[in-house]
Amino acid sequence: MNHRKPRIICITGGKGGTGKTLCAVNLAVMFKNEGNKVLLIDGDVENPNTYLLLNGKLENKKEVPFFKPKIVEDKCSKCGLCSQNCLSNALLHVKDAFPIPILTLCSGCQLCYKICPENAIEADSKIMGWIYSTNVNGLSLLLGELKPSEARSAAIVEALLENLEEIIENNYKEFDIIILDTAPGAHCDVELLIAEADIVIPITEPTKFGKLDLIRIMDLIKLLGKESRVIVNRSSLLGFREQFIKELERENIKILGDIPLDSDIVESYCQGIPIMENNSNFNREGAGYIAFTKIYDNLKKWLKIIGS
Amino acid sequence: MERRIVGIVSGKGGVGKTSLTASLASLAKKDSNTQVIVMDCDVDAPNLAIILPPQDKLNIKKEDTYATRKADFIEDQCINCIKCINEHFCEFNALRWDSQNSIPIIDFLKCEGCGACRVLCPEHAFKINTVKSGEIISYTTKMGFPLIYGKTQLGSTTSGKLVSDVKEYLNNSNEINDSNLILIDGPPGIGCPVIATVSNLDYVIAITEPTPSGLHDLIRVLEVVQHFGIPFGLIINKSDLKSPFQKEFKKFIKATGYKKLGNIPFDLSIPKAMSFAAPVVDFAPDSKASLSIQKIYENLKLILWNDFS
Repeated sequence: MNHRKPRIICITGGKGGTGKTLCAVNLAVMFKNEGNKVLLIDGDVENPNTYLLLNGKLENKKEVPFFKPKIVEDKCSKCGLCSQNCLSNALLHVKDAFPIPILTLCSGCQLCYKICPENAIEADSKIMGWIYSTNVNGLSLLLGELKPSEARSAAIVEALLENLEEIIENNYKEFDIIILDTAPGAHCDVELLIAEADIVIPITEPTKFGKLDLIRIMDLIKLLGKESRVIVNRSSLLGFREQFIKELERENIKILGDIPLDSDIVESYCQGIPIMENNSNFNREGAGYIAFTKIYDNLKKWLKIIGS
Repeated sequence: MERRIVGIVSGKGGVGKTSLTASLASLAKKDSNTQVIVMDCDVDAPNLAIILPPQDKLNIKKEDTYATRKADFIEDQCINCIKCINEHFCEFNALRWDSQNSIPIIDFLKCEGCGACRVLCPEHAFKINTVKSGEIISYTTKMGFPLIYGKTQLGSTTSGKLVSDVKEYLNNSNEINDSNLILIDGPPGIGCPVIATVSNLDYVIAITEPTPSGLHDLIRVLEVVQHFGIPFGLIINKSDLKSPFQKEFKKFIKATGYKKLGNIPFDLSIPKAMSFAAPVVDFAPDSKASLSIQKIYENLKLILWNDFS
């Protein structure tokens, strides 16, 4: 491929468990199989699972630090200015006492540290989570993980995006395709990733839940001004395929393809060998294999229409 | 019986939280010993209302919540000094400089509404507004018990706070005094909304499926539950799933010694019931899945009202 900036494709879906990671991993593998340099970014930092589906190891662990105010009692005049200005109510101040940081409420804005007239607040840090980078069978993987019992998942997504920005600014020749895998839902972690993408692929399933959550995520994608095409996973479930696809078309939702129920997919998922990996032993005539091949062709056509 | 508040979580999404919640709610309604209230705290994708529709469409209460704060720029006050950028007022990178117009631009998505720009700008060119973060919806379901749920405003960024508001709404409601069982359908993940959901619960039901991701995400969410010291029981959904991972999965669960509430075998009555928007225990009461959920319900009752006292 020539050296234009890499294409960024975001895989999302609203509802959980529809097959986001399955699709992200297999699309990444198919691009790689054709000689593209591919970076897969796992932005589902609450539950990053891409490495499980790839049977990869988490390597090059880097801490993501997060601001933590530290009160230096020798300097503190107990004026209460920090507490008055903290909109998160993360600094408890009782008259004539030192302020007490309540870390679970702290947004990390550092305002207290910046405005303390006595310089009595130091910028300490705690670990919010980690970022890993690794290479599995020629596929580059960047993965964020939120530390359990911590709440600020967006800080980990931001750290991933800083890495992405770095790559695009300085090393964009390193990659042809970048695939982002998001968390379920339509919250800020998901928004931040969709906002970075050239195109968005929401994954859904032919159920009432699937449709409702899809429509919500489509609204968010529109709000962010992105183009999208949907993959319908488990499309053969109870014979709902035709009706469901018709319903989506009625809502003016464009469809990239569908994946029927397939035992090879379940097995590949549980073994950690992507069904589309070149050297996998899965049946190339199987319904899942054929479906992914078709989706990949449609995706390449779509990328061509969009141009560079 | 004393009131018990129970949350259903999973870590991984799509493993059956909502289907299970609806079925447990229906069983609790038929049980003369329990007075149930159901809540949906998956405020990003609230789906429970599909299975538990209102008795009377004209009797749905809606209340907007304003838990989100966002910065706003007051151009008249700005003297184009660019201090906000140079001195890095915003730790969330929500301020960018528009060099054409020599003013800062606020990235609405990234802004956390912390107020740092408002306080630090010497010209007072920023203010903080509260904006709509979502809504809380409540009604009496066709089955006759109350349902309360939250729904985030797209682009508002504060799911965790909305979950707390939904729980607060319950505490201020009239119905709570007559109830002895609160069932809360939780969000997927382990982050802010999950923490807000599980805080102050009496008991957590953790549901998963025998796949590597199912197990991985279960372990992570249980770390959070254990961090808060809340007792929990496990449910394995699709427990007989044909998968090369089954053996490892069973071995791991056994080794942890986690208390199990029961298994739900793979059963097409569940997706079928969902397609008719009904709890499986009502749609196909004699199915394998329904029988196992009934057993789970009995186990849950024993734990909530016998083991606890």
